[in-house]
Amino acid sequence: MYGQYAIKRIIYAIINYAIIIFILSALFNASMEATLRSQIEEMIQGEFLARDLTGYTVEEINELKALRRDELYRRYHLYDPMIVRVFWRTYDTLTFNLGKSTSVTSSAGERNVSIIVGEAIPKTALLFTVSAFFNILIGIFLGIKKAQKPGGLLDQSTSILTMIVYGMPSWWLGMMLIMFFVYKLNLFPSGGILSTPPPTGFMYYLDILYHMALPVLTMILLRAWGGAYLIRNIVLGTLQEDYIMSARARGIPENRVLYGHTLRSAAPPIVTMSVMSLLTSFGGAIIFEGIFSWPGMGNLYWIALQQNDIPVLLGNLSVTILLYMAGLVLLDLIYGFLDPRIKVGGKK
Amino acid sequence: MRNDGNKAKKKTSISRETRIKEFKESLKEFWSDFKQVKYGIVGLVLLIVFILMMVLEPFIIPFPEAGERWSDITYWIDNPRSAAPAWVNWFSGKKNTVHEFLTEPELQVTDTPQFQVVEAEFNYNYKYDIPPGELTLKALGKGNVVVEAEIIRPDGETINLVRKNFNTRNETEIRIPLGNEAATRIINFGREFESTENSRNVQRHLLKPMEILFSKAQEGILVKPEPLKGDYRINVKAIIVGKDSYIKDPEVVVSGKVFGFLGTDDARRDIWSGIVVGTKWAIFIGLLTAFVSIAVGIMYGVTMAYFGGWVDSLMMRIYEIFVSIPMLPVLVVFSAVFSPSLWTLILFMCVFYWTGPVLTVRSMALQIKEETYIEAAHALNASTGRIIFKHMIPQLIPYAFANMALSVPGAIVAEASISLLGLGDASVVTWGQILHGAMKSSAVLKGLWWWIVPPGLMIALLGMTFAFLGFSMDKILNPKLKTR
Repeated sequence: MYGQYAIKRIIYAIINYAIIIFILSALFNASMEATLRSQIEEMIQGEFLARDLTGYTVEEINELKALRRDELYRRYHLYDPMIVRVFWRTYDTLTFNLGKSTSVTSSAGERNVSIIVGEAIPKTALLFTVSAFFNILIGIFLGIKKAQKPGGLLDQSTSILTMIVYGMPSWWLGMMLIMFFVYKLNLFPSGGILSTPPPTGFMYYLDILYHMALPVLTMILLRAWGGAYLIRNIVLGTLQEDYIMSARARGIPENRVLYGHTLRSAAPPIVTMSVMSLLTSFGGAIIFEGIFSWPGMGNLYWIALQQNDIPVLLGNLSVTILLYMAGLVLLDLIYGFLDPRIKVGGKK
Repeated sequence: MRNDGNKAKKKTSISRETRIKEFKESLKEFWSDFKQVKYGIVGLVLLIVFILMMVLEPFIIPFPEAGERWSDITYWIDNPRSAAPAWVNWFSGKKNTVHEFLTEPELQVTDTPQFQVVEAEFNYNYKYDIPPGELTLKALGKGNVVVEAEIIRPDGETINLVRKNFNTRNETEIRIPLGNEAATRIINFGREFESTENSRNVQRHLLKPMEILFSKAQEGILVKPEPLKGDYRINVKAIIVGKDSYIKDPEVVVSGKVFGFLGTDDARRDIWSGIVVGTKWAIFIGLLTAFVSIAVGIMYGVTMAYFGGWVDSLMMRIYEIFVSIPMLPVLVVFSAVFSPSLWTLILFMCVFYWTGPVLTVRSMALQIKEETYIEAAHALNASTGRIIFKHMIPQLIPYAFANMALSVPGAIVAEASISLLGLGDASVVTWGQILHGAMKSSAVLKGLWWWIVPPGLMIALLGMTFAFLGFSMDKILNPKLKTR
């Protein structure tokens, strides 16, 4: 039963992803092809510079170049009708054949977009899972404390805090914290993931943590309150159930009622909320990472924008969407696992 | 027949009257609920302040054309560069020079057969600790003019500053940055009083002419200058040769270290003006995006619920595709490739924001659909459109308002993010554009906090305002969340 549900969900997600990539390919086809054409020209130029061309006249060389161009255009489907070209581009993206960058390179100097994006993924994942971990921890703790005394001082003050930071751009808060903690107090590094030169051994990991402190702090300051507010509402809703009242009536200690009974049945929505907040913060990470020069996917957008590198931009986008969707699927799978009512499915 | 028609008209007008009455009553009820929520009131007050800022824009900004000429260098040329807000002086022990224009000098005109001599004497009372950034002499002139300037300090020392020739065919603005032009003379003046040792050790490119000009003539004037307060006189002498030549409107601009309510950026733009101009754009972008997307989302959700069956399934699939796209990255790439105008950007944001209310609206509409009055409407053969727009959507209006208020901040932040990256509509001065300028000239690194704090704070404040309003409406509509 669960397996069926899972497979159905995954297949739907794959179809959705293909549709999205198809639309994006159609949308950005023109600029991608312009880049590809100039890359082909560059390639031909390079090839002919390396070739021994003595004995050829200028016309003959031009003819050879045209032949080579013809061949390459054919190989990259540039002579096909528009719709076919879009299909090929979709196919390439879906098989992670993201093309070559125009100027951005990987740390090893490669220009394969898949490798460049692949290098950035773990760094983004590290930053966001660590901050999500702290956010969830603080959120659950604060949320339960709030739900215990709704309308109390803690509840009201943190609720107000939620609203105060509701429309605050994370990157702006990041700038503020950098200005204060880095340039005023000199407490933290201004950005990046490692000092130069990177320390070795155990210090290597400490150095990463040291660099991570400020971005994680920013994210906690912005998101923990909102998480606590949602968890409070979820827990409060559960506390109104009859079985809680009966548990209390049976004389079960309040802490066990809270952490045993309430939190257990409130777990599915809390998990959803936590993963959702992780995903939304990931979606908004572009600028956030750029401010802290954290070398993840967000920073890659920033670099690609500065160097006007369309293939990297689009490749990064397709991978971002893929990860985002994978997160959504994972969320549904966990939810279905925790809450058996979901996977039965009432529709039909 | 005619009578009948009249009757029918009367009937509808009566029903309209009662409806207006009902509406007024429900509004009253809402207001009495709303009054209970303190932060809701705070939000309302803040919103009124923002709206006032928007309406009174021409009266509260010192540069009325700031919106249109934001990137026009000539419009800002008389302002100091990177000056802090004027109120900084209240909090610091050392007073910064305030930006000032010295106008209406004592004029003295002497005519000789060959030429005319115009002498202008400016009085400047210097009472600060940190000297101005520059003294700029400006005037309108035409023809063949020789301009000389000297400064007489409170201690009686006189420094010859410049002697410059101008020869123009048309009336042009003459601008002489005195400190810059006379740097060598002023430094030499300083060296006269400085000990030989200090004089030798000091690096010339680190010396600031203005600092020397406004400091006590004593040992240490180059290395540790002490401000010399008092009345300075700037004498300007213009020798005008030729019949058509003239000079008029002489003026000295004392470029302050502090300026206006929020200071200036490094392109001399007044930040307060930019902030006020940005207010209307932020409200406009936020409200329009929220309104359009919530309207579309509610219509979508109601349609889904009303038709059900395969329409519901199909619309659900489309909805699922939209929610599985992370908005900001797509928005960034879209803006990078197409460089959209403000309108296109708003449209594109709506394409992603409409999904917000769909699920809730759908489930609410499913409930409404089962109500008996909808059945009655069906029985009366009411059209689909009538049922949806007249009977179902009005029920959802309160929810729509709460949702709208809560989606405004997101839209504002999204636009600011796009602008921050330099991908926004550059012809519109939004808070994001101001922050983009700050990012580009690394204001964080230079510590120009008055350039970064206000725009972001305004985004946060406006977001907070709408959050207060939205959450308070939510609280009224969702009494379950109040207490246990």
